Amino acid sequence: MIRSARLLGAAALAACLAAPGYAEEINVYLIPSPSSTAIQSFIPAFEEATGITVNVTETPYGEAHQKLLLSVRLGQGQYDVAQFDNTFLAPYGAAGTMQPLDGYLAASDEYDIADFEQGQRDYGKYEGMTLGLTLSTEPMIQWYRTDIYEELGLAPATTWDEYLANAKAIEEAGRGDGHIMGWGPNASWWWMTLVWSFGGHLYDADLNPMVNSPEAVAATAFFKDLLAYGPEGGISASGDDTTNKFLSQDIGAMIQYSGYWGVALDPANSAFVGKLGTAPMPMGAVDITHLAGWNIGIPADAQNPDAGWKFLEFVLGKSNAVDYLLAGAAAIGRMSIASNEELLALHPYLPLLNIPASSRIERYPQIRVWPEVEKAILDALPPILNGEVEIQSALDALNETLKPILEQEMAS
Amino acid sequence: MPTDRSAPPAARKAPGGIESAARHVAELFSAPSWLLILAVFALPIVGAVWLSLRNETLGAFVAPRFVGFENYETAFADPRFWESLRTTFLITVIGLAIQLPIGLGLALLLDRALRGTRIFRTILIIPMLLTPVAVGLMWRFMFDTDLGVINWLLGHLPLGAPNWLGARWPALFAVIIVDSWQSIPFVMLIALAGLASLPKGPREAAMIDGANAARVFFHVTLPSLVPVLLVIVMIRVVDAIKLFDVIFIVTQRGGPGTATQTLGMLIYNTGFIFFQTSRAAALGILLVLLVAPVYFLWRHVSRGEH
Repeated sequence: MIRSARLLGAAALAACLAAPGYAEEINVYLIPSPSSTAIQSFIPAFEEATGITVNVTETPYGEAHQKLLLSVRLGQGQYDVAQFDNTFLAPYGAAGTMQPLDGYLAASDEYDIADFEQGQRDYGKYEGMTLGLTLSTEPMIQWYRTDIYEELGLAPATTWDEYLANAKAIEEAGRGDGHIMGWGPNASWWWMTLVWSFGGHLYDADLNPMVNSPEAVAATAFFKDLLAYGPEGGISASGDDTTNKFLSQDIGAMIQYSGYWGVALDPANSAFVGKLGTAPMPMGAVDITHLAGWNIGIPADAQNPDAGWKFLEFVLGKSNAVDYLLAGAAAIGRMSIASNEELLALHPYLPLLNIPASSRIERYPQIRVWPEVEKAILDALPPILNGEVEIQSALDALNETLKPILEQEMAS
Repeated sequence: MPTDRSAPPAARKAPGGIESAARHVAELFSAPSWLLILAVFALPIVGAVWLSLRNETLGAFVAPRFVGFENYETAFADPRFWESLRTTFLITVIGLAIQLPIGLGLALLLDRALRGTRIFRTILIIPMLLTPVAVGLMWRFMFDTDLGVINWLLGHLPLGAPNWLGARWPALFAVIIVDSWQSIPFVMLIALAGLASLPKGPREAAMIDGANAARVFFHVTLPSLVPVLLVIVMIRVVDAIKLFDVIFIVTQRGGPGTATQTLGMLIYNTGFIFFQTSRAAALGILLVLLVAPVYFLWRHVSRGEH
């Protein structure tokens, strides 16, 4: 039933796209990921429907953004569509790398921007302009082992205190490690989340750093306390390591981006398929949702932007939204698919993607110097977590380190 | 054709300047190589120097302008620069202190005509043939505190198992261990070649005179090997200073924090993560200046050998 409806939708879309006048060829710049693989699975259907040939260039994450920045700087017009991490939205915006999509969005019933909650509509915006469509919606959520929780009579935590209590209970019962976060090279993901959740901010409206505020100190202390209830290797675990450990060791819970769910579904990667549950992230002093994920848009120097938009509309429009997720991509938080039974069986976290208006959406800071700010945070955290320095003084020092970096942002 | 080979050089060059012409023809033939070297090495270096004197950044629409030595001043004022230098120095010195004795010891063992020497020699050079990224990934898994084989083995000993990649010194030693594992075969091979080139006479004479193996090694073999060891040291110093791939993989870009961030890694982070291309170029020039004395020392030693 769902499949035939999807086919009808795709046929209708193909009929709309068959209009003449589009370029014969577009170049699509992708970054290897489940989203990229899913996008490529739509190329044959798009080519058949439109007659537009799609050439794909895949560049590994580590160099992808640098390469695109350079390409657009040189004005070579190499790419008509480009995928990027939301963390690079600000550098791209500042460098004029992507072109605004608002005109296309306003005219597209197929994409239907109204199918997204406001927070997600803003997700690809830089200084009021939409530079990227949402390619994945990945809020940080609570993952837990249903077998362990049922065995010990625990419920997913709604507050951080409950989360810590659950972790303690699991350790005391000898049922494994209480929980895991990544305290290693991506520790900023979790640290920022806690700072926001505890009511703190990284900087104020005038870009003055605030990482030594009482809220930030309390969040950091809690982050350190949680370390004691995680696996020993958590201290050096990256984002990927964190998920891999959770999916291969007895660990009660994990705070992690929902985008990793595809890994959890694969028995080759997960020892606990069918034993995983998801819940909203525990709440602190403030109800926040830490949102991350991919964006995709049209580079400023694209030679065939209209054809590029048609491709985006085809792959990410409403008609193919279900197929896109079934093709293995990290989910996009369209309201229209959140209650789809077929999808929910595979992706039980889908309702969590529709973030309520009451929850303040926090994403990676949209400042050009964010990579440098994040590195400074990552440099400061290990001595704190290892107990080599006192938290307040270390965060005071971090605050001083961030001042000249943020001043660069103000200067630009 | 030269007619009188017994004539003094000046007299030989005089008739027609044939040798001079031949030299010019030879230089002409080598011109394409020089042009290639110019294009591949000289121009990028000049470009890097020029870039280091501007304020280019990939991440913003700032009109680039000439800023003189501002990027160098920024580097010298940045504590991360000095910390990365210290880390680079530590990895180089401690690495050499491990690699040189072990490599030389293995070379001495393999220099003896024992059974199975060829097989061991083949096995021992395998690490050198592997790509550093693959080696880094393999060791990263081995160092894993929860699942790694190293801590599993150490868990059977009363010494305790360190959190290899989670704290400063263990992470630094993890990098040195991986680098040494790959570099010791190189040290061994060069030292072995050096040993093979030594005349056996002096060593045999010393043994006939009653010197034991240790005295022969310290008073005859080692002094003769000094030029070879110097070359090894210089090559390894340069390699260690520009060590990148192993650190990129094993400690994920120099972590935890800045514990294993070498100068090379700082350059990468500055250029490719912070998009500060001019600042990265200045750091790159400083790295070249750091390595240059080692090169000139090497040249000096090589000439001394001749």
